[in-house]
Amino acid sequence: MSFPILDVVVLLPLGAALAIALLPRQAPMALPKWLGLGSGVVELGFVLWTVVAFKTGNNHAGFQFTSREPWFGPLGISWYLGVDGISLFLVAVTALLFPIAMATRPSPEGALPRSYLGWMLVLESACMASFLSLDAFLFFIAFEVTLVPGYFVILGGLGERRAYAATKFFLYTFAGSAFLFVGILATYLLVAARLPAGSPASFDIITLARGAMHLPLADQELLLVAFGVAFAVKMPLVPFHTWMPDAYTQAPTGGSMVLSGILFKLGAYGILRWGIFLFPRAAVDLAPLALTLGAVGVVWGSVVAAMQRDLKRLVAYGTVAGVGFIVVGLFGFTVQGITGGVVEMVNHGLSIGGLFLLVGMVWERRRTHELDQLGGLQTVAPVLGWVFMAVLLSAVGLPGLNGFIGELLVLLGTFITHRWWAVVATSGALLGAIYLLWAYQRVFHGPAKAVNAGIRDMTWGERAAIAPLLAGIVFIGVYPQPLLSRIQPAVDHLVAHIEYADPSLKIPSSGQGHGTFAVPANQVVDVPAGTTSSAAAGRGGRP
Amino acid sequence: MTVPGPWYLVLAACLFGIGGAGVLVRRNILVMYMCIELMLNGVNLTFVTFSRMLDDLGGQASVFFVLVVAAAEVVVGLGIIVAIYRRRTGATADDVSSLKG
Amino acid sequence: MTIFAGTAGPGCTISNLVTSEAKVSGLCTAKGSLSIPVEYRSIAPVLILGVAALVLLVLSATLPKRRYPGLWAGLTALAGIATTVDGIVQWANLDNPANTALTVGGQVLYDHFSAFFAILFGCATTLGAAISDSYLSREALDGPEPYVLMLACSAGAVLMAEAAGLITLFLGLEVLSISLYTMTAYHRRRAASGEAGLKYFILGSFSSAVFIYGAALVYGATGSTQYFEIFQFLTGTVVVHDGVLLAGMALLVAGLGFKVAAVPFHFWAPDVYQGAPTPFVGYMAAVAKAAGFAGLLRALMLALPTQVSSWRPAIWVLAVASVLVGSVMALVQADLKRLLAYSSISQAGYVLIGLQAGTQAGWSAASFYLFTYLFMVVGTFAVVGLTQGRGEVRNDLGSIRGLGQRNPWLAGGMLVLLLAQAGVPLTSGFLGKWLVISAVIGKGQYELALIGMVGAAIAAFAYLRVALLMYVPAAPTPARPGQPRGEGGGEPAVAPTGPGAPSGLAEVAGDLEALATAGLGATATAVALRAPSTARLRVPRATAAAIAVCVAFTVFAGVSTPVLSLAHSIGLTWSL
Repeated sequence: MSFPILDVVVLLPLGAALAIALLPRQAPMALPKWLGLGSGVVELGFVLWTVVAFKTGNNHAGFQFTSREPWFGPLGISWYLGVDGISLFLVAVTALLFPIAMATRPSPEGALPRSYLGWMLVLESACMASFLSLDAFLFFIAFEVTLVPGYFVILGGLGERRAYAATKFFLYTFAGSAFLFVGILATYLLVAARLPAGSPASFDIITLARGAMHLPLADQELLLVAFGVAFAVKMPLVPFHTWMPDAYTQAPTGGSMVLSGILFKLGAYGILRWGIFLFPRAAVDLAPLALTLGAVGVVWGSVVAAMQRDLKRLVAYGTVAGVGFIVVGLFGFTVQGITGGVVEMVNHGLSIGGLFLLVGMVWERRRTHELDQLGGLQTVAPVLGWVFMAVLLSAVGLPGLNGFIGELLVLLGTFITHRWWAVVATSGALLGAIYLLWAYQRVFHGPAKAVNAGIRDMTWGERAAIAPLLAGIVFIGVYPQPLLSRIQPAVDHLVAHIEYADPSLKIPSSGQGHGTFAVPANQVVDVPAGTTSSAAAGRGGRP
Repeated sequence: MTVPGPWYLVLAACLFGIGGAGVLVRRNILVMYMCIELMLNGVNLTFVTFSRMLDDLGGQASVFFVLVVAAAEVVVGLGIIVAIYRRRTGATADDVSSLKG
Repeated sequence: MTIFAGTAGPGCTISNLVTSEAKVSGLCTAKGSLSIPVEYRSIAPVLILGVAALVLLVLSATLPKRRYPGLWAGLTALAGIATTVDGIVQWANLDNPANTALTVGGQVLYDHFSAFFAILFGCATTLGAAISDSYLSREALDGPEPYVLMLACSAGAVLMAEAAGLITLFLGLEVLSISLYTMTAYHRRRAASGEAGLKYFILGSFSSAVFIYGAALVYGATGSTQYFEIFQFLTGTVVVHDGVLLAGMALLVAGLGFKVAAVPFHFWAPDVYQGAPTPFVGYMAAVAKAAGFAGLLRALMLALPTQVSSWRPAIWVLAVASVLVGSVMALVQADLKRLLAYSSISQAGYVLIGLQAGTQAGWSAASFYLFTYLFMVVGTFAVVGLTQGRGEVRNDLGSIRGLGQRNPWLAGGMLVLLLAQAGVPLTSGFLGKWLVISAVIGKGQYELALIGMVGAAIAAFAYLRVALLMYVPAAPTPARPGQPRGEGGGEPAVAPTGPGAPSGLAEVAGDLEALATAGLGATATAVALRAPSTARLRVPRATAAAIAVCVAFTVFAGVSTPVLSLAHSIGLTWSL
């Protein structure tokens, strides 16, 4: 029995939140702050240790650090945590962004309110549980619980319509989750009905994936749609996105950071882990729909973002485009595409999280997000300008920074199987570059307006806050190997699973093989040896 | 001449129906209350008739329970009505309308 | 011979009991012999509650005439605890299946189901007494009478859950209802209370008459009022002309539908909830609903399982109508008690959803739902009883405004209870919905599952609005910068209202107000936004303890298994 590190990762922020809630009223004002930040940093330490200790290589495609306790025994529900290459870096980004977000003050006056710190910690705990959960019930609980702290974090902002935004956020996602609720239960019961006599029904992902694969295709498609609606609302994919600009703009800076940087990843991660993985055949059938929504999202998000006059809304719509791009990658069903999608999720957390942080800094100085009111900040606040530029270029996808790797993989991977969608998405990426650079130009270039002349440059505290994000951006851009080597086996395995479920799916050679595709010994789904080797050959993997 | 059982059942159903319609239509609370008694008596007649037709004592025993319950309802119901009308003059349901609905 | 022929399958111990002539010789069929077998441990909860009611009456007549603060409530709570403990003892005793019995002349069924509901009604009595005490002394109504009524009501409720026949069920129903009529009308100086009592009385008596007429028709069609004899008759006979039976079943369902406030038999509920003394509403919402459903579950699942294809569509319609009408109507209420009344109507819809599945999963899901709902609704009404002020002057939505400042702990507890009713995970409300929905999905009724969840999302807005209002500052005027905050109330330990930018406070309050009253009429809005006092809200000790228990239980039952496995094994009783 090794150290239950994932349980600690999930429960530590919750414990810190409880401690903050129970602190006596007379406690010094700084105590909750240091408690919150301290627990965030300790959490980050645990996560980094997990990343380092994570075993790479094709024999380790399965879940690691698993921890399992029966929970609601009679219902087949267990507390089941585990991490694989797909969730590992999402967990890492979560642990990285939360302390930074907690350090940002929701209001310029006064100390950090305890309530804000408390809800942020609860939110961190729920996000961690969502990413790490291997039990559908536990996942649903965590996914749904994010709403409550999310609601209160948005409510803690300064926007004039924050109550409206928070309520809209809650109700939209709650209604979306209704479908997930029914979908999970239906999957469980349908799978349980087909289990051989004597084997216990369970909500764990392995049992569900084994069984769901063999359900009638029509059932699978309906279930995937039910799952998909919930995740599409959370992401948010284009027709379901209307809650998002309100929520992101009304939330405090830290709230926007974690909402866009992490919470929406829950949707993208959910569609990969609980949608594509459980219903691979249905996913292949419905891929054109998902790809279309994704590609439309890229173009539409970019165009609308370009038209915004409010810097924060602009970044918020940029998120819509980013989500579309990730979906295009995931539904390409190639190793490159899915790897790219996962890398993009990580990148997006770093760059959009960073952008919201910087937008918050601009707001603290000028108390406005209006692009017309800003301008010429480069001359008075050069450091802020350069940092903004760096993060922005990462979002644009400049080679040498992290965005490039992800976008390249997505486009390569999807181009092979779904050419035209990839072409549309590429045009979206170009649009993205245009609107972001244009926004940069309007905010930082030109002569400094009189009102902007007196603003101060970044403080050391602010530099310290953005530094970890910049480090991540540069590191992934320059040396992505540690990232890819950990993500790769899990994705290989997922693609093998999809191909096994749907042998008709021919994934052509990409020429971008990342090593041999030996089937992992501890893999989740039984893939007969013959199938796997042919699949590997089909993908043209070479050493 | 014997009257066939179903006729009693029809009579009982009529009593029950008249009582039910009375509760829903009439506005005087005492009359409404009497209508409920009428419904219960329709029930009693039904029980007795079935008891006779089935040659089973259970139905007749049930009537006693219904009677006792009806008596208990009278006590409580009249108590509530009196408590209300000590504050008021008339006795129609339309006066009792400070609650919506 | 099996009880769930065609539905759940396996036979049960009770059916074996039915065949043993000695035990089944009930009141109606006993011929000649006067020795009726009585298993006293089976009716112990009824006896405890009934005797406690008598003790209270005798004490009040013999003690010197003066006020005894806390005495009556204390004795009632004690009786409630004794009932709960007895229920647990019964449960342990029943783990040996041989102890399951049909007793007291075949009128009382002694099984896990009745023990479960004895525990439920014992808890309800304890909590009801705990939250009533401070209310009654605040309103200068204290005395033993309401507690006597509460005990009698609980005794009737237990009897309904134990009944093995329609006549016993009717007796329990009437003991329960008559006590509740009086409790509703108990506030002598409030006109609304008397009116609500009268309305409840007329409509309740009407529904009782409907119910007993249904029992008479079922008796005529099957030859008995005893569940197992009806069942035996219906399994052994093919009813060709089943008009009388169908009419009887419809009237039974309608009569009990009134008691549980299922749409379209719900129209009394908002008025009665609005008028009745608030703590009694909490008690009533929990007990009347649970007892009505206990009767309905027994009657439909024990006596009429063979007719499931006849009654399932009817229950389906009631369930869907209750969920949707309850949720939507809750959105447009400006009165907090009416809002909660509609919410309880929609909660009844979920129990009906479980019931109409007609399976053991549905049976235990409904039981679990009722048990956990008890704690949510009693706690919620306890909080409402505190915020409304002396004389129930404020029941509108605005009365809860600023609770986050006036008493952060109370607001936190209320938040948990509201989220639980909305069905947010990690609360018992979520688990209840999970069980209910999984029961209907198990029957392949996906459309019903979706309707149920959409209804939950609609209702969530109503609860969220209340939750939001708790955190709107009680005084909408913007605070001056630098003003020391929270003199009386202080900041909530975990609450969204940070110090905030004073300049933005006014607009934000405006936004919150606009949202909190969206959909209400102009007059209602004006009333709803009248700010209550900002003074710290004091919570009497007994009420605080009761609310704490409710909140703790709501979380406990949502994250752990004991209550769940209790409810789960109720279903198993019938599949032995």
